[in-house]
Amino acid sequence: MNTKFIVHDLFSGLKQWLRSKGTVFWTLMFPILLILIFGAIFSGVGDVEIPIVVQNLDVDDETGFTEGFIDNLSHVSALDIKTLKKGEDVDEYMKDEDISGALIIPEGFGKNLRDYINPAYPFNESDLPFNLTFIADPTDQSSVSILRSIIVGIIYESNLQITGGEKVIGVEEESSLGEEFEYIDFFVPGIIGLTIMTSMVYGSIERNTKYRKDGILRKLLTMPVTRAEWILSKMLFMLVLSFISTFVILIVGVLAWGLTVKIGIFFFVLIISTSFLFSGMGMIIGRFVKEEETADMAGGAITFPMMFLAGTFFPLDQMPEFLQAVAQVLPLYYVNEGLRNAMIYANLDKTLYFSAFVIVFAVVFFIIGVLLTKWKED
Amino acid sequence: MVEKKVQCPKCGKILTSSGNPGDVVRITCPSCGTEGKVTFKKTVSTKDAAIEVFNLRKVYGDLVAVNNISFSVKKGEVFAFLGPNGAGKTTTVEMIESIRVPAGGQIKILGKDIKTSFDDIKDKIGILPQEFHSFERLTVRETLAYFSSLYEKRASIDGIIDAMDLKDEEKKLYKDLSGGLKQRVGVAISLVNDPDIIFLDEPTTGLDPKARREVWEVIAGLRNRGKTVFLTTHYMEEAEYLADHIAIIHKGDIIAEGSLEELINRHGEGSIFRIKDCKSKGTVDVLLNRGFKAYREGNGDIAVRIDFKERVLDILSILKHECIEYGTIDIRRSNLEEIFLKLTGAKLSEGAS
Repeated sequence: MNTKFIVHDLFSGLKQWLRSKGTVFWTLMFPILLILIFGAIFSGVGDVEIPIVVQNLDVDDETGFTEGFIDNLSHVSALDIKTLKKGEDVDEYMKDEDISGALIIPEGFGKNLRDYINPAYPFNESDLPFNLTFIADPTDQSSVSILRSIIVGIIYESNLQITGGEKVIGVEEESSLGEEFEYIDFFVPGIIGLTIMTSMVYGSIERNTKYRKDGILRKLLTMPVTRAEWILSKMLFMLVLSFISTFVILIVGVLAWGLTVKIGIFFFVLIISTSFLFSGMGMIIGRFVKEEETADMAGGAITFPMMFLAGTFFPLDQMPEFLQAVAQVLPLYYVNEGLRNAMIYANLDKTLYFSAFVIVFAVVFFIIGVLLTKWKED
Repeated sequence: MVEKKVQCPKCGKILTSSGNPGDVVRITCPSCGTEGKVTFKKTVSTKDAAIEVFNLRKVYGDLVAVNNISFSVKKGEVFAFLGPNGAGKTTTVEMIESIRVPAGGQIKILGKDIKTSFDDIKDKIGILPQEFHSFERLTVRETLAYFSSLYEKRASIDGIIDAMDLKDEEKKLYKDLSGGLKQRVGVAISLVNDPDIIFLDEPTTGLDPKARREVWEVIAGLRNRGKTVFLTTHYMEEAEYLADHIAIIHKGDIIAEGSLEELINRHGEGSIFRIKDCKSKGTVDVLLNRGFKAYREGNGDIAVRIDFKERVLDILSILKHECIEYGTIDIRRSNLEEIFLKLTGAKLSEGAS
């Protein structure tokens, strides 16, 4: 094993990479800009008021508890409350007014609270908690996530005042995202997956088409370096690149959006497997499409739709069912979900599940890629 | 002159042909009329041979790209493989470099069969592939260091930079170099392991005349340093200027081989002594009577074919003694372009097909 060459190749690769402003931009700045732009769009930065529909179905309440709760809501400066009368269609109103969330206070809410607090009234423990209904527009996760966190905060405070913390008031919601996570938590792992995919696929394509056209592969054939050493050295470089871009993305995510990440062994396993997976994919493309420009287009034709269909920018359950089925065969979907579960949700079972798919994809694609790549000419 | 017996591939009759080493002689079978060629190999002893090629063949579908060619390259010489585009030059050199797999034949480099021992030979050869383009964002020095790191035996990078006259460019990025300098760097890369044999595949294609000259000087310098150079080119001036030995390839066959002098003597029309603006009548007859092959050309000039340079003095002496008046004279000998035209009926610069 020519370790001197492998180390030399790594540093030469990094040097060339740093000197190519375009490549550095697409590898680092592009994902950073995506995070900043998408984060700003979806996280609702700034001091704006977010409109919310409040529909009180408990209009006959005489206890004052319902009124007091609504009063508490109106004091939250971030909320712009639109009151909707009982009997009016909430969904239609939300759609007409372009409002992303609605809070429904059920009939008997005030009476139930009074019954719970005042021992003079009969009360059934099994009725707890008294749930409000939060209707969220799944296409506007940024506003929804802020509304959700405000409502959860108000409910928490109310519970604290009424019972000292026991969960008397609750909220029901059909949500596509976990309750404690925000859009940026969902988004950053997707950007990491996307960035590794594009840099690996295009990096491989460059090695297999440009280097072939430029005679570098022909030259290497006549030099004392094996294909294994060459591929190993290139993979080492690509892995370093993957980790550089991953950590830059994470640093921006943490600094700009307060992202909380959990970095464990599976995070590294996933980054490494993903790098091998998409390098293999690039080698396969480079084998069948030999012209450099055509290969770039072929790379784009494969990575671009995958970027949108694999749940990089939006949760899959917001997409039509047939597209959700398509995602199940896309390697990037398993990468994205694996990274989310490993570094954000800390769900070990799901991490293992998705990582297993990524590793299998990586082994299959990389082996096929290496076998298909040949240096010799016909 | 040597004799060679060959068997007619159609009727099996044994035929005898004669020629000089390096000749390719056309032969027709008297029994069945089958036409063919007999190659008289120029023999180089194995000890002196840097490269030996025997019956090398390459076929792409129905196209025979290289047709059972054989030749040897002596150690320390510049061997030019001359032919038009598509003649089979690059296919041949890439088979020798083990980049392409031959359909048949044997190749030895420094006495070793490349089929079994190419890994042992890699340290001893350096190549500049056709249309080679190195890493754009490495400097000249970094590029040389990169390729040098592949080898155990390394030449001094400073030494290569000095020898290739790249001192002023060593810190420039490859992408910022002119075409000529890029080719010079390409040659420099092929020297990082201090090889015995250097393969240069069309090193000056696409360069302007000045840059081409610069690369020629670099190649001439390699020969002076005792390197064996295998050069493929379609520029006859390049072969004439640089080569110790030339093999002309056409449609996959070597049609002539030898030094420039040998090729001209064997296939050329000798030299032409041309008398311009001759005002004396009967000059052609005078020269014919003295045994010269003289004739009047379409533009009125008198051309005299001469086989030996000593005959120039004889012609000048006749012109003086016969008081023949003339404007100017020039002497031009046959070149490779004319030889190629004579052998193939096509111009070297016009391509193979």
